[in-house]
Amino acid sequence: MSNDAHIVIEGVDMVYAASSRPLTALSSFDLTLRRGEFVSIIGPSGCGKSTLLRIVGGLQSPTRGRVLIDGRPPREAQREKQIGFVFQDPTLLPWRNVIENVRLPLQVNKRPRGAAGRPFSARPEHRPELVEGVLVGRADADDTSLGGRRGSPRTADPDALVDLVGLEPFRRYYPHQLSGGMQQRVAIARSLVTSPQLLLMDEPFGALDEITRTSMRFELLRVWRSTAEGACTVIFVTHSIAEAVLLADRVIVMTPQPGRIAADIAIDLPRPRPEEIELEPRFLEYTKRLRDLLRQGAPSVRPELVEGREGSVR
Amino acid sequence: MTGAVQEHDAAALVAAPAEPSTSSRNARWLRELAATVLPGVIAIALVLGIWEAWVEIKDVKPYIVPAPTRVAERFADDPWFFIHEGLKTLEGAMFGFAVGAFVAFGLATIMAQARAFERSIFPLAILVKVTPIVAIAPLLTIWFGFGLMPKVFIAALIVFFPIMVNALVGFRSVNPNALALMQSLAAGRTEVFWRLRAPSALPYLFAAFRVSIPMSVIGAVVAEWFSGDRGLGSVIYVANNNLDMATAFAGVFTLAMIGVILFVATSWLERRVLFWHESTMDVRG
Repeated sequence: MSNDAHIVIEGVDMVYAASSRPLTALSSFDLTLRRGEFVSIIGPSGCGKSTLLRIVGGLQSPTRGRVLIDGRPPREAQREKQIGFVFQDPTLLPWRNVIENVRLPLQVNKRPRGAAGRPFSARPEHRPELVEGVLVGRADADDTSLGGRRGSPRTADPDALVDLVGLEPFRRYYPHQLSGGMQQRVAIARSLVTSPQLLLMDEPFGALDEITRTSMRFELLRVWRSTAEGACTVIFVTHSIAEAVLLADRVIVMTPQPGRIAADIAIDLPRPRPEEIELEPRFLEYTKRLRDLLRQGAPSVRPELVEGREGSVR
Repeated sequence: MTGAVQEHDAAALVAAPAEPSTSSRNARWLRELAATVLPGVIAIALVLGIWEAWVEIKDVKPYIVPAPTRVAERFADDPWFFIHEGLKTLEGAMFGFAVGAFVAFGLATIMAQARAFERSIFPLAILVKVTPIVAIAPLLTIWFGFGLMPKVFIAALIVFFPIMVNALVGFRSVNPNALALMQSLAAGRTEVFWRLRAPSALPYLFAAFRVSIPMSVIGAVVAEWFSGDRGLGSVIYVANNNLDMATAFAGVFTLAMIGVILFVATSWLERRVLFWHESTMDVRG
């Protein structure tokens, strides 16, 4: 069931017509993701990672090639609100409080109830897993069936999501009253409120301090697991090797100019992943291998920059 | 130092009958009020004192410059006259502001949709802006006669440009990621406008309001000079012709009070509406 191809990226080229010479951001990029897979994309700045996310999310069209989400173009997935986005900057609306920000995706582009139906055949199959996930992931769950008390089969309950990211005392707070980490939690809750099939995260923890960043990684895994594991595919762009290994089932290493896949490494570590996993030999092997790949793949890029983002490598 | 001590004593005296907790809060509030208002009051009193002394010592004729006490006497003589005429002026200014703001917002909304609209509307707006509106004020009597209309017309014309320009800048100053977010949810144009662009423009709009609201009063007064049968503009105009400087200055004083009230009201509204924007945030916060 979880072996079916969910996201297919086929021969995607992205060329920006600059004034002097055209800039090739992506060149014949091919990638297929299984449903429910967590994929990290790592590479130096300017290797086209963000461009790739924008194309997969339907925010821009590639120069050549195509992207299919469940066999359909991204624009259609957008219309069904199947895509969640998290950016490096939390991008909260400052005039809305926490719960109003989380509700935004439900209010935008509202369609008459029931008109959308069940767009993807996979959905009903994954429902039981989803509910189970909530119960597994949250010991103190009482009535937190995120599948929605509101009766709609397609969305999660915003209040339950705010609880899930640990912000229940801050529901009525405004973004300017929250720390950067808390704001990013709100952004994550917002991205999940439509129960998306695909979550696109563009260096979501890049602007946070090291301590917050580390806790946010586990937070993300916990939230993803309890709301949508098995049902929600994640593409996570990062600069951090440890982050890529810790989170993902698969790490894609990219080289810049033009953006290409240098390596595609399956991360065979058990889930759920405890904090101590970063000290295990297998984890360290993966990080070492990725570091070497980044070094070879891009001789022009100083590897210490990539490491430097992470602080000392454990 | 002595001033501070006296203040404190006065506060304690005022608050004495109340409970201790409220009394200390009252005392603090009173002290803070005194600290913010007192320097300004002292400065104004100083200027008025010098003015009064100058008129006394130099024996300036009252039909050239009246002493502040004389102006105060004139105002106290018939305060309702000035207040009533002031409300007439205020009425013209506020209607004009409303009309001008409405048109400005509408045009900015249209221009935000496409550059072609901007290129066609903007030159026209600049033409209106650079025309000295005061110069056409005498014509307004011919077009609109007396009463409210000329005031509304001039106030609206004056107010319109800063609001339009700021609204347009505001509509465009949207976080690009927020736009991407809306796009990823397949939000329509209208929805993006009302949910994202219009609220993002509010800080810019309020900046424009702070400039244009006092300007709307100026516009109303200018209109009253030429075509007013009522309002402080015509009061000042008539008093000037009669060399009744005390009345003219009392009128000016009333206008200044209206200006202060409008300014305070705008600031208050801004703090309430833009509580989420850094411009209204407490420095200490």
